[in-house]
Amino acid sequence: MDDFETALAALLPRLRRFAHGLARDTADADDLTQQTAERALKARDQWQPGTSLQAWTYRIMRNLWIDTGRSRQRRDAVLAPEELGETVGVSGEAEGRAELHFLMRAMDRLPDEQREAVALVMIEGLAYAEAAELLEVPIGTLTSRLVRGRQALAAMLED
Amino acid sequence: MDETRIIAWIDGELTPEEAAEVEAAVAADPALTVIADRHRRIRARFAAAFTPLLDDPVPLPRRKPAQVVSLAAVREERAQATESKRNWRGWAWPGAVAASLLVGVLAGHSNAPLGVPDRAGALALSAPVAQALDRQTSGDLGTVNVALSFKDHDGELCRSFVAQYIGGVACKTGGGWQLRYAAPVDGQRGDYRMAGGDAASAKVVATMIAGDPLDAAGERKAIAASWH
Repeated sequence: MDDFETALAALLPRLRRFAHGLARDTADADDLTQQTAERALKARDQWQPGTSLQAWTYRIMRNLWIDTGRSRQRRDAVLAPEELGETVGVSGEAEGRAELHFLMRAMDRLPDEQREAVALVMIEGLAYAEAAELLEVPIGTLTSRLVRGRQALAAMLED
Repeated sequence: MDETRIIAWIDGELTPEEAAEVEAAVAADPALTVIADRHRRIRARFAAAFTPLLDDPVPLPRRKPAQVVSLAAVREERAQATESKRNWRGWAWPGAVAASLLVGVLAGHSNAPLGVPDRAGALALSAPVAQALDRQTSGDLGTVNVALSFKDHDGELCRSFVAQYIGGVACKTGGGWQLRYAAPVDGQRGDYRMAGGDAASAKVVATMIAGDPLDAAGERKAIAASWH
């Protein structure tokens, strides 16, 4: 592996976590991660050394996610009772996975623009300014999407 | 003191002075304490569920996505081509390849007929692939990658490509894009090499091509003329 590949390989776990914040399920998240890695390898000449490889690859992933054009229909902003009950009665690792899938389904109910803001800031831990730059929106826009997404999640998960 | 500012505080976006101000306001107002606790709990819940993902190993794609046919490979094949006009239809379609190819052609089209009738239109390409062949210039990145465009001996315009399930060569006929050669794309996810290999595809192009491949200007012209 050359330097670029080594740096990309080191970023893949974080890219995959970001993918889990965007995609509807784990299989989609893994596909998105692989597609992003392929695209990054193929377009490596377009990356400017000295700039953030992480921001560049996150942007590739986000654009792929937008471009897939999968019909991400909005669903009811309320989780069904059977979905809420899914984590009951399982333990350990299975419980962790069930919780992850549950939170992914909650994210799936957010409009795309709120979802990507929440994924970048709350899951990936980017600063507001970094997330705004990556999404190419003013920071005020990023903040309001983020807050609306967080409020919707709070309503889904705790009300 | 609004919810936006409380969330910014929890996210560590405030200066120490601003943070102290929010902290005091939240401590003094039970209603604000409820809001702050709620957002802290949710943030912690997401961290607990998503952070363990970082421990899973994630491999790089096995190989870099390959070009179907490089210009150099075609030139080399053409230089080596013998006088014998081998009919590509004769050797490019072993049964198993043809069978898996047809699965690929029909995949994702629930309204496609089951089974393939034995007629000229039977190998018409699926809409997304045909659309890519219509619109993309060679080398564009996409779910369908077009590598090369050329005119065949019958004067039809043809293009080599790799899609998700199949790769090959298609030519524009009156009825649309028709496959002239195809092989299933290697089943390994993320590996866009064709099962037949680049060499087989290059061989097909070398057999079919009349003259030189289209350059970028030629492709743009062909796109404007819908490849007729």
